[in-house]
Amino acid sequence: MTFLAVVLRGLLRRPLRTGFTLAGISIGIAAVVALVGMSRGFQKGWQLGLKARGTDIVVNNRVGGLTPKPFDASIRDRIARLPHIAATCNILVEVTSVESSDLMILSAREWGSFCWNNLELVSGRMPRDAMEEAVVLGQTAADVLKKKIGDPIQIETKELKVVGIVKGGAIVEDGSVILSLPLLQGILGSPNQINAIDIRLTPSTTEGEIREVTQQIEQQVPEVRAVTLSEHLSHSEGFRMVEAMSWGTSLLAVLVGVLGVMNTMLMTVFERTHEICILLAVGWTRGRIMRMILYEAAMLGLLGGAVGVTLGAIGVQILGATPAIRGLLKPDLSIALLGMAVLIAVAVGIVSGLYPAWRSSRLNPSQALQAG
Amino acid sequence: MTEPSASAASLIEAKGLTREFDEGQVKALRGVDFSINEGEFVAIVGPSGCGKSTLLQLVGALDRPTSGTLLYRGISLPDHPNPAAYRAREVGFIFQAFHLLPTFTAAENVQIPMFEIDRSASGRRERAVELLKLVGLEHRLDHFPSKLSGGERQRVAIARSLANGPALLLADEPTGNLDSENAHSVLELIIRLQQEQGRTMVLVTHDPTIAERAARILRMKDGRIVDDTRP
Repeated sequence: MTFLAVVLRGLLRRPLRTGFTLAGISIGIAAVVALVGMSRGFQKGWQLGLKARGTDIVVNNRVGGLTPKPFDASIRDRIARLPHIAATCNILVEVTSVESSDLMILSAREWGSFCWNNLELVSGRMPRDAMEEAVVLGQTAADVLKKKIGDPIQIETKELKVVGIVKGGAIVEDGSVILSLPLLQGILGSPNQINAIDIRLTPSTTEGEIREVTQQIEQQVPEVRAVTLSEHLSHSEGFRMVEAMSWGTSLLAVLVGVLGVMNTMLMTVFERTHEICILLAVGWTRGRIMRMILYEAAMLGLLGGAVGVTLGAIGVQILGATPAIRGLLKPDLSIALLGMAVLIAVAVGIVSGLYPAWRSSRLNPSQALQAG
Repeated sequence: MTEPSASAASLIEAKGLTREFDEGQVKALRGVDFSINEGEFVAIVGPSGCGKSTLLQLVGALDRPTSGTLLYRGISLPDHPNPAAYRAREVGFIFQAFHLLPTFTAAENVQIPMFEIDRSASGRRERAVELLKLVGLEHRLDHFPSKLSGGERQRVAIARSLANGPALLLADEPTGNLDSENAHSVLELIIRLQQEQGRTMVLVTHDPTIAERAARILRMKDGRIVDDTRP
C-alpha cells in the first residue's frame, strides 16, 4: 500500500460528500475557464480584426467604455502628415443591439480608405458610394441576423438595405455590420464624430520608429492616445473592465470552492479524530498526518480542476454559439489558461486544507485509548 | 533530552511518577516507582480508575507525566525529541477495542505503522502477510475489519503491533472485548509471541487469571503501586 492509496481511501470514505465538494470546485474552475476564456477571446478577436484591416497603430480617446469615447474627425488632419504614416482611416464603432441581436458591432469606416480593402465579397456587392443607404454584413452577422442580400435592416431609426455579404479575415470583422462613416454619423446625429483612427505605416518602419510615431501623435494631440496593435486592448479601459469582471466573478466562484473544500476537510478531520489518534498512537508523525489531509485536499482540487476545465471548455463553446455572443468573440481556450485553471484548483485545495491539516496535527494520541 | 543513566540495564524506569488532570483535581498517578527489565512479562492489575491505563499511556509516550522521571533505556520519555519515532519503532500497542481503521483491509491495517520506517510498498505488503500468517490470519488478508470476528480483529491488531519489530509490547485489556473462547486463544497468542520473540510485555488487566500468566504482577490502587510480586 502506498501513501497515495491511503490518501485516496480517505477521499472515497464518503463518496457522496467528496462528489458534492468536487462539483463545488468544478463550478468555480469552470467559471474561471469560461469567463477568462471569453474575455481573452474578445481581446484576441479585436486584435485579429485590426490585423486583418492592416492597422499598425490605433488612435482613440484616453477614456471610454467598451467602445472608446467619440472625438472630432478633424484630429486626423493633425496627425496624417507625420512621418512614416502611409494611410489613415477614420472609424466609428458601436456595440449595440440590432434587430434580434442584443450585441452587434456596427463598424462605420471612412469611405475609400484602406479599412474596406480586407473585405472580400462572398455575395452581392459593396455600397456604391458613401451616401448609399446600404450596409454589408460579415458572414456571421448575416447568419445571426438571418439576413440575405436585398433584405432591409433597421439601424437605430433608419432602415438600410443589405447589399453584400463579406468575409473579413477575422471573427470581429465577420461578426460586424459594416457601413460607410457618414451614414452612421448621420443616423447617430453626430456628424464629424469618430472614436478611432486606424493608421497604416510605411512598410519599412522599424519598431523604434513606430514608438516615435505614437509619441509624436500624443504630443500633437494630447487628448488622444496612440497605441500599437499589440498594446491596443491592454490599454483599453473597456477591455480592462471586462477582464477585471471576468476575474472578479471567477475568483468569487473559486472562493466558494475554497469554503467548500475547507468545510469538507474540517468535517473529515472531526469525523476521523479517532482514526487520526490511532495513526498517531501507532507512530505516525504529526507531519505525516498533516500531509495526508493536505494531499486529500490537493487531490480534491486536482480532480475538481480537471472536471471544471472540461465543463468550462464545453460551456464556453455552448456560450460562444449563442446568438448574443456569436460573431462578437471566439473563446480563447489556450493550454496556458486550462493549465492555470487546474493549478488554481490545486492551490484552492491546498489552501483550504491548511487549517484542517493543522487541526488534525494538534490531536492528542491518548484519545485513541480513551475512545471506544 | 536526559542522558542515559547508570541504570541502563532496565528497559523502563519510573521514579515519583504523577499524572494529574483538571488542574490537579483528579490525581490518576500519585508517585509511582518501578522498573521493568528487558524481556520481562509484567501484568498491571487493579480496580477500575486505579491508574493502570494512565500508566500504560505514559510508558507508550501517548501522554506526558505531570511530574517524576520516566526513562526508556535510560532516556527520558517526556523529553524525547521524537515521541512519534519512539512509538513507531520501540512500542507496539494492543488495545481493548482493537482500534483498527475501518476503511483498510487486514493487510493494510498491519502496514499502517510501517510508513514511518524505510520500507517499500511491496516490502510493507510482504511483512504484513508474514505477520498475519504468524497470527493465523493468512486467509483474511484482504478482509475489512467489519467482515472479521472480534478474535480475528484482535489478531490483526496484534500483527499491527509487531509491524516494526518493537522491543516493548503494551496491551490494555487485550481480551476485554472478547468471548471466553476467543479471549483464551488471543491470550495464548500474546504469551507465545512474548516468549518466542523475547519481547518485553506490559499487560494491563483487571482479570487475575490473566495476570497470573505473567512473570510479574504490579498491583495498583488509588494511583499507587501497592504490590510487586513474581508468582
